[in-house]
Amino acid sequence: MYEEPYKWVEAIDNRRQYLDDQFKQGSPVVALAYDTGILLLSVSKSTSKFYEIYDRLALGGMGHPADLEKLRVNLLEMAHVEGFNRSPSDVTGSRMVKYGIAPVIKQAFEEVFKAPFIVKLLLAELGHKAGKDSFLVVNYDGTFEEGTSCTVLAASKTVEQEMIASIRGKVSAVLSLEQAFDLALRTWALGDRLQHKTVEEPSGESSSGQPEDTEATSLSAYLRDRVAEKTIECVLLDRNRSDSSKYRALPSDEIGRLLPKDLTPLIL
Amino acid sequence: MGMHGDFFQLLKEQGYQLGTPVAAIAGVEIPTATTILAFKYRDGVLVAGDRRATAGNMVMYDRTDKVLEIDRHSVMAIAGVPATAYEMVRILEHSFKYYRRTQLQELSFEGKLRAVSKLLKENVAAALSGTGAVAPIFAGYDCEQETAKIYFYDILGAEFEGVEYAVSGSGSPTIRGILHYLNTWEEQPLNALPEEPALVQALRLLTSAAEFDSATGGVNREANLYPIIKLITTGGVGAVPEATLKSLFEAKVVRHV
Repeated sequence: MYEEPYKWVEAIDNRRQYLDDQFKQGSPVVALAYDTGILLLSVSKSTSKFYEIYDRLALGGMGHPADLEKLRVNLLEMAHVEGFNRSPSDVTGSRMVKYGIAPVIKQAFEEVFKAPFIVKLLLAELGHKAGKDSFLVVNYDGTFEEGTSCTVLAASKTVEQEMIASIRGKVSAVLSLEQAFDLALRTWALGDRLQHKTVEEPSGESSSGQPEDTEATSLSAYLRDRVAEKTIECVLLDRNRSDSSKYRALPSDEIGRLLPKDLTPLIL
Repeated sequence: MGMHGDFFQLLKEQGYQLGTPVAAIAGVEIPTATTILAFKYRDGVLVAGDRRATAGNMVMYDRTDKVLEIDRHSVMAIAGVPATAYEMVRILEHSFKYYRRTQLQELSFEGKLRAVSKLLKENVAAALSGTGAVAPIFAGYDCEQETAKIYFYDILGAEFEGVEYAVSGSGSPTIRGILHYLNTWEEQPLNALPEEPALVQALRLLTSAAEFDSATGGVNREANLYPIIKLITTGGVGAVPEATLKSLFEAKVVRHV
C-alpha cells in the first residue's frame, strides 16, 4: 500500500504525529557551557538521561529508554573503535552524529514498515579550550543541528525555541558552575511548564508577556511543585579534571549545595 | 555486544588480531630487556621502571616510559617486546573505559586481571615465535576490598600474585634478592615504609639493576633522566615528579653508588 508516493508521504506524516505525541510527557534536557566546561541538566523520575560516551563526549536523551540504550551502545562502539584505531582526538561529536547515528535514525524513521526510534538526542563535546565546545541535537527523523554554547531538547520545536531564546543571551564562558546550574534549572522549568501548558491548554498564552520579576517568582513556584517528587540529574564535562575522561555525574549532595537559595528546601 | 562490555571481543569481530605469530628472522634484533618492579608501601603500591630500550647490544632509546597508567587505579609496567606491550596497554585502557561506559559501573579488580591474562594468552603464538613476548606487572588499588594489589605474569599469561613485591625484565634477578633481603631483615618491612623512604629504595634498586644489567638504564644526571615511578593509593595513580626523584637521588642514592 505504500508503493504509491502520496501514501508514503501520508505514512510519514502519521509517523511524525505519533512521535510528537510520544514526547509530550518527556522531561526537557538543557546543556550549556560554563567557565570550566559543559553542564547538562534534567529532572526525571527514575531512569538516567545522561551518559558518558567518550573522554570528552556526553549524551543526553528524551524518549523511549530501550531506543536510547540501543543508540547509546551504537555510539559507544563507534567512539571506542575509532579512538583505538586512530586517536581519542579523532572521536568528535560531529563525526559520530553525521556519519554514525543520524543516518541510522533517518533510515529507521523512513522505513514505514518498521518501528522508528522514539528518541531525541543531545551530544555535548568539550573543546580543549573554552569557546571551542560543540553541541549537537538529533531529532527522531535523523535531522541534526549544531551549536556552540548551549542547546536543549524538548517535546516540540516551539518549546525548544522558547527555551533557547531565554538562555542564549545569558550563556557565556564566564558563568560559574553555580550560575550555570541555576540557569539550566530555570530553563528546564520554563520548558517543562510550556510543555504542560501545551498539553493542558493548547491555546494558552505564552509566559513571555509577563514582567521579569513576576515571571521569575512564578518559575520558582513552578519548580518547587514539579521537582518535589522527582530527581535533578546533572552531569559535567569538566576541563579541569586531570583524568583523560572529563565526564562527571554530580552526586546528590553536590546538587544540594548548588541549588539556588530560594529552592534549597526542595530536595534537602 | 553492549551487554557484555567486552571491547577486545568487539575489536576481534571487526577483524583485529593481536600478535601475529611471525618467526623472528635471524640477525634481526628486537627491542627487549628492562627492569621493572613493584612493591607495597605504607600508602599503597609503588611501581617503577628504568627508561632504556635495547635491541641486542644497541641502546635504542633512553626515554622509554614502561610504567603506564591504565586507569585511575591501575598501572601496568611492561617488560618484553615494546610493540606488543604498548598495544596491550592501549587495548586495556580502552577495554576498562568501554566496560565502565557501557555497563555503567567499574570493572572489578579481578575482571581487570582476567583482561590482562586473556591478552597474554591471545599473544602466546607471537610470544613463542620470538617476536612478541611480554611479561608485565599489573598493580592497582582494589576499591572493593580497599587494598593495594600486585600481580605479575609470564609470557604465556600465567598470573601470580606478588604478595609483597614483584619484579620482571632482564635486570630483575639482581634486585629480587635485594628485595627479599630488605623485606625480611631491614628494620621495617617494605609495606611499612612511608612514601619518601619507599622512593629512595626504588631508586637504589633500579640503580643496582643498571649496575649489573647492561640492558637496564641507570640514572643519567647530565641528561636529567630519572626512572619513571608511579604511586597508587586510595586517591588513584600519581606520577612522582622528576624534581622529587632528582633531589632524593642526590641526597640518598648518589653517595652509595
